[in-house]
Amino acid sequence: MERDQWKQFDFLLMAVVLVLVGWGLAMIYSATYRLSGTPAVDPRVYQQAVFLAVGLLAAAVVLFIDYNLFRDFAMPIYIVGVLSLAGVLVIGQITHGSQRWVDLGFFSIQPSEPAKLTVIIGLSRYLADHEDQIHEFKHILVTLLMAAIPAGLTLAQPDMTTAAVYIAIWLGMAVMAGMRFWHTMALTCFGIATGPLAWMFMHDYQRDRVRVFLGLEDDPTGKGYNAIQAVIGVGAGGWFGRGFTSGTQSQLHFLRVQYADYIFSVLAEELGFIGALALFFIFLFLCWRCLGVAGRCPQTFPRLVVTGVVVMFAFQVFVNIGMNIGLLPPAGVTLPFISYGGSSLITALAAVGLVQNVALRRREERR
Amino acid sequence: MEPIRSLEEPLEEPVRHPYTGRILLFRLGCFLLFLALAARLFWLQILEGDLYRVKADDNRFRQLAISAPRGVMYDRNGLLLIRNRPSYAVSVIPADLPSDPKPVIQRLSHLLEMSTEDIEHRLQPAPKGERTTDDFSPVSIKNDVQVKLALTIEERSLELPGVHIEVKSRREYPDGQITSHLLGYVSRVSKEQYDKLKDDRTHKYSANDDVGQTGLEATQESWLRGIPGQRQLVVNASGQEVAQLSQIDAEPGKNLRLTIDLALQREIISILDKHMKDYKSATAIAMDPRNGQVLAMVTLPTYDNNLFSQGISQEQFDQLVKDDARPLVNHAISDVYPPGSVFKVIVASGALQDGVVTRYTQAFCPGYIIVPHWLDPNIGTKLPCWAPHGTQDLISGLANSCDVYFYYLGGGPPRGEWEGLGVDRINKWARAFGLGQPTGIDLPAEASGNVPDDAWKRKTFKEPWYKGDTYNLSIGQGFVTVTPLQMLNVITVIANGGALYRPQLVLDVEDASGKVVRPFQPDVIRKVPVSPEYLGYVAQGMRAGMLVNTHTPEGTSYVGTSYTAEIPEVPMAGKTGTAEYGEPDEKGKMKTHGWFAAFAPYGNPEIAVLVFVQNGGATDASERVEDIMRYYFRLPQQPEDTRVKPNTAVH
Repeated sequence: MERDQWKQFDFLLMAVVLVLVGWGLAMIYSATYRLSGTPAVDPRVYQQAVFLAVGLLAAAVVLFIDYNLFRDFAMPIYIVGVLSLAGVLVIGQITHGSQRWVDLGFFSIQPSEPAKLTVIIGLSRYLADHEDQIHEFKHILVTLLMAAIPAGLTLAQPDMTTAAVYIAIWLGMAVMAGMRFWHTMALTCFGIATGPLAWMFMHDYQRDRVRVFLGLEDDPTGKGYNAIQAVIGVGAGGWFGRGFTSGTQSQLHFLRVQYADYIFSVLAEELGFIGALALFFIFLFLCWRCLGVAGRCPQTFPRLVVTGVVVMFAFQVFVNIGMNIGLLPPAGVTLPFISYGGSSLITALAAVGLVQNVALRRREERR
Repeated sequence: MEPIRSLEEPLEEPVRHPYTGRILLFRLGCFLLFLALAARLFWLQILEGDLYRVKADDNRFRQLAISAPRGVMYDRNGLLLIRNRPSYAVSVIPADLPSDPKPVIQRLSHLLEMSTEDIEHRLQPAPKGERTTDDFSPVSIKNDVQVKLALTIEERSLELPGVHIEVKSRREYPDGQITSHLLGYVSRVSKEQYDKLKDDRTHKYSANDDVGQTGLEATQESWLRGIPGQRQLVVNASGQEVAQLSQIDAEPGKNLRLTIDLALQREIISILDKHMKDYKSATAIAMDPRNGQVLAMVTLPTYDNNLFSQGISQEQFDQLVKDDARPLVNHAISDVYPPGSVFKVIVASGALQDGVVTRYTQAFCPGYIIVPHWLDPNIGTKLPCWAPHGTQDLISGLANSCDVYFYYLGGGPPRGEWEGLGVDRINKWARAFGLGQPTGIDLPAEASGNVPDDAWKRKTFKEPWYKGDTYNLSIGQGFVTVTPLQMLNVITVIANGGALYRPQLVLDVEDASGKVVRPFQPDVIRKVPVSPEYLGYVAQGMRAGMLVNTHTPEGTSYVGTSYTAEIPEVPMAGKTGTAEYGEPDEKGKMKTHGWFAAFAPYGNPEIAVLVFVQNGGATDASERVEDIMRYYFRLPQQPEDTRVKPNTAVH
């Protein structure tokens, strides 16, 4: 890398990400503050700090590898990702009725997280290679299949939300690659039409969630408990919140898994509308900034990689916060950078590494 | 292929690639997504914020009642009649149960040795309309568990979220059957009761509380029940206390000192119990005629109120309800009977006061009167006296309990030489002496009895009032009915010279430190408008009833109907009564209940006692009164075999 290339490094983007992860660490500290009954720093805070260090390292590694190398090895990378998802189904641990984790001895990972990036790389390569024929429907179908394979494997865990993330990533990238408008519409309509079919493949707990969300079932202490408690926590926050480590819903455990999928509720309860709005601005800025990197990128592969990352972030943020505030049914998706969890954090940081990678090298022409 | 030109262009210049529009589209998309989130957030946090804040507070604030110790009762000499014993109850707060309560219920079922179905049944919420509790109110699973078990459950509280040990105080009645009709009992408030009590802001009832169900426990509820305290807590999701915000201490209930003399009460029970094989039921009341204080009130057979406070089994309950002698009924106040000859004291008092007769007015008793038919004077109905008494006056008439004399007083001589009191005036006097209305004693379920008149008879039997009815009424038979307590009250009026007292059971109300909160005050219902002089004559007649083979200065002779009950050491005045009931047998004899009411010492009475025996005779009753009087005046009991036996049944 040349010295002046660093001028292209997006320091503002980096700063924003550091603010996010720092904030996330602080929220985990608060959400787990009274988990043991007495005020104390929960081990999860230290664990997350380690994940953060690992994630920054991963981001650095991804940053220093020329993205063209990712491009050249895109298909093997994609295949490794798919294989890892297939592996989960074979050797994965079953927790809470689904098989999502692989125990690596010192550390359990959720392969469906990093697989998001391998899918993005694979799709980017294919779409970039066929940019000129993208109006042909067969390429759309091929890329849809490329997303559907990992999505199907994830669905089998079962993890419907992560499967949906793959499909969302594909849709966003295909649109960015120039998918015809009527193709988009046709597939969207097809998706909506076959939506009810999904019901048939849903597990009971998933159906319950949907039923409770749609108000068809009233069960405030059972299936809908956490979703209701999350909304109560958010609503109780008001303008300025109840103060850091002072949200009653999370501190007194009325809200469960408050350090992971429901951490936004803690944030909104303790920091209020103003705090949540600040978070929205940061996320919006992040997406905006990444899209800026994509927009200034003359090459298709890196542009699509960045697009995939943005779609991944935006979709996850929307679905996660949506379920925290009662807009969407409960779904197993983390809030990137904020939620507790190594796989999620490391993947998010590595994704930022990819974006920076593109920002650094986008002028380097090759082909 | 990318045009080379773009490489030379400065970055800031807009690049017109086909994807530029899409980048803009994506930016717009992101913006809209966050706008949607922000709008929803504004709705939740700003517009509806107060609502959710209340919901969050409902989650964490919990008010816990501190139960107030219920007041106890003592007898007039300070003997304890009710104990509060601490007991441990296992209860569950449904809201604190985990979403899958099965494991907790299973553990609990194992510990309590109850079936899981039984526990689940208790936890089942009532249908919405009938619900008296919310999910945050403890539901009793098992009462009165062993201390050891209670401690085990406390220790294992982490495995048993939602399960709590409540320290309750259990009511114990050391004298059980002896005082049950007076004290009553407490048990868990019923839904109907709770609906009435839940708005009581002073006493703050909860759906799990005990409440007095009958007896003094019920009527004195507002004194006995204390005011529950309250702890305002912050709890976590498992219902564990995190902090206490405030505490209001409970105010213990007031203690009652009763007018009852426990020793006398016990003695009366044992006196009556010796003869219970002869009677269907027996009732005895002792009262201080100077103030209306009830010294003892006994009704046999009785029941053990501890059964009810502990939770009676259906079997035990059925047995009590099915018993023909109705042990759950306090016959002293809740059952009515014809008073028989005891009623004559009212007729005598009224006749004197209204000038129908004087103390000296004489009448001849051949053993019957013949009442001529109102259409044909030549046909007559024979009304018997229980014996021929010869010439009688008021004193001997009372002593002999001569029916003929009282036929004259009430209905006048059959041929109409002079006018008797008549039904309306008998009615007036019966009511003046407190009949036909509850006495107002501090016990529930008091009967009124019946004072009949023409209007009543027309209404009840669609028949007019006949002269014969007046004659019957004059001797306390027929339609007139009274409770034993009403009848004793009549006798106390004679004894004290005119004051009709409301019988009272509570001597004073004391707070926990023993300070008297409400002292005893005699409660005069009315002064009966009969001159003390006339009441004195009636008393004289009652005194004469205790004597044998005597005659008045005027020469009328008498054999007192209750002479066998006379106590030489303490002069007593009494009146027997025999209530006839049911249908006459083949010999024309009717079944009877026996009455005897007396006061002593004559001239300066300090106690009035009434005994009523169902399916017994008046002599039985008088002898039981004698036994009671002997105990009261600390005299030796008369051995059964030396007792003088009357040769005939008396009236």
